[in-house]
Amino acid sequence: MNVKSFMECERKSLEKMKRYQLPNRFKKIGIGIIIISLVTFFVNKFSIENIDLKLTAKYGILVGLLLVSISKEKIEDELMTSLRMQSYTFAFIAGVIITLLTNPLFNYIANIISQKQQENFQEVGDWEILWILLSVQVFYFEFLKRMNK
Amino acid sequence: MKNRLKIERAILDLTQDELANKIGVSRQTISSIEKNKYVPSTVLALRLSLLFDKPVNDFFELEDSEMPMANNV
Repeated sequence: MNVKSFMECERKSLEKMKRYQLPNRFKKIGIGIIIISLVTFFVNKFSIENIDLKLTAKYGILVGLLLVSISKEKIEDELMTSLRMQSYTFAFIAGVIITLLTNPLFNYIANIISQKQQENFQEVGDWEILWILLSVQVFYFEFLKRMNK
Repeated sequence: MKNRLKIERAILDLTQDELANKIGVSRQTISSIEKNKYVPSTVLALRLSLLFDKPVNDFFELEDSEMPMANNV
């Protein structure tokens, strides 16, 4: 295999990894959706208290986080691909650990505060798990980018 | 892996930004390679080789611990 065909082969494998990503402008759209959804969530929590609106805001936050997570950087090169993979790995491990450890801990603290004995711990919902995974990935990716400056 | 990227860049009188533009990566990537924080792919190493007009081994060098079969030879 000569040098050019080897480079072509490796470039194609890198291109495959970028196929599922969105253009950089979707990052700003994602941040906008997160902000609007968070404002809606808190306004709804403290005044309106509409269940449908709460659900819409929750899923809005998830969609926003997903858009930020899969949007390309301005210059999406192999370093960014490598950092992105590291952040997904970290998010997966951290997500499982956080889900396993913090929920029983929060329930235990809540039980102590409320002075009520609760036999079963509350289950972590799908929304919470996805929120933890995406948040950890997005923040850890930003952290890695700053570390590599 | 040790590298002489900074020296080779200085020989061609290029800034990190200029080198990054020539090989199609960000300035951050060049900086990370120079600081030994990131090991580039074969594609990037070969692009650098074409630009510097030198074999890859001239500016990338394995550390002793990274030598193949170091313990068996």
